[in-house]
Amino acid sequence: MFSLFYGLWKYLVSKTEFHVLILGIDKAGKTTLLEKLKTQYSSLEGLPPDRIVPTVGLNIGRIETSNTKLVFWDLGGQSGLRSIWEKYYEEAHAVIFVVDASCPSRFEDSKSALEKVLRHEDLQGAPLLILANKQDLADAVSAEELAQYLDLKKLDERAYTFEAVSGYDGTGITETVNWLVDVMERSKRTEMLRVRAGVANSSGA
Amino acid sequence: MGLVFTRLFSSLFGNKEARILVLGLDNAGKTTILYRLQMGEVVSTIPTIGFNVETVQYNNIKFQVWDLGGQTSIRPYWRCYFPNTQAIIYVVDSSDTERLVIAKEEFHAILEEEELKGAVVLIFANKQDLPGALDDAAVTESLELHKIKNRQWSIFKTSAIKGEGLFEGLDWLSNTLKSGGG
Repeated sequence: MFSLFYGLWKYLVSKTEFHVLILGIDKAGKTTLLEKLKTQYSSLEGLPPDRIVPTVGLNIGRIETSNTKLVFWDLGGQSGLRSIWEKYYEEAHAVIFVVDASCPSRFEDSKSALEKVLRHEDLQGAPLLILANKQDLADAVSAEELAQYLDLKKLDERAYTFEAVSGYDGTGITETVNWLVDVMERSKRTEMLRVRAGVANSSGA
Repeated sequence: MGLVFTRLFSSLFGNKEARILVLGLDNAGKTTILYRLQMGEVVSTIPTIGFNVETVQYNNIKFQVWDLGGQTSIRPYWRCYFPNTQAIIYVVDSSDTERLVIAKEEFHAILEEEELKGAVVLIFANKQDLPGALDDAAVTESLELHKIKNRQWSIFKTSAIKGEGLFEGLDWLSNTLKSGGG
């Protein structure tokens, strides 16, 4: 009986924790973005961009906004490593897909990687935020232009948006987080993950 | 190179006692790696409690090495070495494909340890100089690294014999610990 009330109390006072995947091909700027998020939203000083090396594994960033906790999973984007992305899909509430907007020669690579992500059933209904990154560079295309280049089909079944950002100078980061939190709080996928976690907990007890 | 490493780690932990465990099956190349890093003399303990722990003391950081696998009766003693562990360096013989399953099981068992929950994990896919060695993506798959979801991890292809990949990995480790760890 006590544990029941305790569980309820914990449920009521705890902040919802969201898992957000940061995906994208290599050199898109995923880890730089993650470190910027840490710098802006937590007490930790993120690594400066010149200290960041290519990711061959998983980087994690935990931040808190007024009423939510966000856990970011930043996975390596080199082509040989993309096979592990899908192992993280099931528990993800949303996906950030990062594109280097200053490098049109790799848009095609980004497009096919993203299409593969979108086709995966474990990510069904997951809100998608596509970032036209590296806006600090003069030749970066806008979010609208990137959307045209990528020309994605079948996006309608999920909440999605394009945002112009710079993980380097912080442009667009606040908008990004606000959009994510807002959409995840209302998404059916969040509800689905919550139900599944609840079932897992009660069967484990 | 050794000097770069010296500076890397000397600023890292301040005066705090820290521990880095270097683990893996026997013959993975753990001791060779320690020698390669040239940080100090590798000292083997006398196996009074049943297993051999090699220690390199480097400023405030203790690197401690032992073999996983084998005798289960001595495992409780491992826990003496868990407190204050900031990082685990897991070394795998990438050419020993037959024992990768055991390497995987031992690895995930150690990650379950309560006192190691906060430690970040660096994996060395070692012995890349040998024919038939699996690359980083294949070792990632074999070790099922994707099961790690609440701490940071990274894998590097290394050849301890040739001294390749080790410093890149340690660079990652020091950056990660600096920016707040797991």
